Amino acid sequence: MVTTLAQAVVNGLLIGGIYALVSIGVTLIFGVVKIVNFAQGEFVMIGMYITYFLADRYGIDPLLSLAVSMPVLFLIGVALQHFLIRRVLGLGDMPQIFLTFALSLLLMNLALLLFTANYRTVQTPYSDAAFYFGPLYFPVAKLIAFGLAMVLSGILWIFLHTTDMGKAMRAAAQKPEVAMLMGINPDRVFCVAVGVSLALAGAAGSLLMPFYPASPMAGQVFVLMAFVAVVLGTLGNVKGALVASLMMGVAESLGIQFVGADSGLIVVFLMLLLTLAFRPTGLAGGGAR
Amino acid sequence: MRRLRIPGVLWLGLLGAVLLALPLVVTSRFAIDIFIRVLLFSFIGVAWNLIGGYAKQLSLGHAAYFGLGAYTSTILQIRFGISPWIGMFAGGAVAMLASLPIGALCFRLRGPYFAIATIATAQVLMLLFLKFRDFAWGAEGTTIPNLGNAPLMMQFDAKAAYYYIPLGLLAIGLAITYRIERSWMGYYLVAIGEDEDAAEAIGVNALRIKRDIYLISAFLTALAGTFYVQYIYFIDPQTAFSFNISVEAALVSIVGGIGTLWGPVIGTVLLEATSALLQSWLGSSLGGIQLTVYSLILIAVILWRPTGLLGVLKDAYARIVHNSALAKKATLDG
Repeated sequence: MVTTLAQAVVNGLLIGGIYALVSIGVTLIFGVVKIVNFAQGEFVMIGMYITYFLADRYGIDPLLSLAVSMPVLFLIGVALQHFLIRRVLGLGDMPQIFLTFALSLLLMNLALLLFTANYRTVQTPYSDAAFYFGPLYFPVAKLIAFGLAMVLSGILWIFLHTTDMGKAMRAAAQKPEVAMLMGINPDRVFCVAVGVSLALAGAAGSLLMPFYPASPMAGQVFVLMAFVAVVLGTLGNVKGALVASLMMGVAESLGIQFVGADSGLIVVFLMLLLTLAFRPTGLAGGGAR
Repeated sequence: MRRLRIPGVLWLGLLGAVLLALPLVVTSRFAIDIFIRVLLFSFIGVAWNLIGGYAKQLSLGHAAYFGLGAYTSTILQIRFGISPWIGMFAGGAVAMLASLPIGALCFRLRGPYFAIATIATAQVLMLLFLKFRDFAWGAEGTTIPNLGNAPLMMQFDAKAAYYYIPLGLLAIGLAITYRIERSWMGYYLVAIGEDEDAAEAIGVNALRIKRDIYLISAFLTALAGTFYVQYIYFIDPQTAFSFNISVEAALVSIVGGIGTLWGPVIGTVLLEATSALLQSWLGSSLGGIQLTVYSLILIAVILWRPTGLLGVLKDAYARIVHNSALAKKATLDG
């Protein structure tokens, strides 16, 4: 019983690392640009397909393709902000919600058209490898994904707190008007924020590939998880999103273990609704409007 | 010079007559199927528009009420032999009941959080109905028993007969919207949609108004759900609580003209016509093409015409009237 419980917690934490990359991306865009990106899951999906095709055509290991997926997604993010999001800023809820929502539909269905609904997997030497630590089972691919996800989150934290651009981003998130008065160019900061956020989504896609199949709908689960985690961890709060994502992973895994294989999502949604009912501003407090 | 003006009522009468006569003239089953889809999704759009368009509470979870309506009437019919005509309104009542706690939860949130919370409620209902194997057939769903021509059980031999149900629903939905638009409630809704805090500051009880309009919207959406399963003779959680229903309800209103009486109808006509054309050109082999095109249209509307197609038509009409007025003035002056 204790072993089962501990194993469920381990499984949840490992996948929670991936959720964290997606959630941090969502919360970063929200914090800086004040937009909820409904299409974040589709950028994870794009990262997965990039990784899949690199592995399938050129035999490149998914972990190496991080070096491709992250910069490509970064550029897509800059373009997304510059050509689309910028045009709906300050226009009210409808355009802001439905622009990224439409983008999500578009990317998902384009992927369906181009790549069909088939599941695509990449087999790596470590895909099925695992080791035991005491009675606990650790799949190597998930462990690597978790580790790299934490490293990337750490790098982001250092970026936000030590570089000029990172500080400008945090300033723009806290007081946009004052940041502008201090000579921060909001357009550039917004572009970099969306770029970095999408690069994290792309990284999540690459890290998932060794143990998770790519499909046009693959991003959906991750974006839903991210929304819950981001609300739970207070919107715009990177550390909150990280902690909440790990919690979501564990909650989902416990749901699967103790309620039933198809109950993971119910647990997650119920957590979201309960959070909204009792702590609409998130666990870390602050404005959720 | 007085221009001869045709009153709006006459136009409406004409439109009604054409729509009533349509299935007598056009007998192709394919065409009637498209008409039914257009009327049904117009109606769902009209129902969504009450809460999403006028009050700007951008729900992405109306499938919750569609599904509850569908399941209530089906369960009543199959388990208790109750006619879907009664089940339809029972479904509406169930949807209204469900909208109270859902609304109480979601209306505490604004903008994107409201949208996300409504997605979650519809998904939770779908996941629950997947588990309800004893009284709701679980994931496999069930077919509706075919009784032949049984008008009292909402089943007809002639496909054309089905056409009149969504037509009637749409007429009712439009009439309700028209009434609300011109009542104090309509003005309160628009005030809430423009700026909820300002509306509250001048004494609008926003929570109560939102709750009331949500009740009506949920009720109407549930009626559509009952009709839909009767029409396709099948129900399962994936169909009844389909995310696509929630999406299309919002899409048709936004593309047509959000918060306007005829917006959802115009939006549905455009989207369904596009979809029918695509289907006849490409066949149904290309999965995803329909939503690809829908989302492109949506992006175009958001970027260039946030008032929707109705705004485009109104501008064009104004330009024509303006131009002819100018021309008339020129001839008079000349």
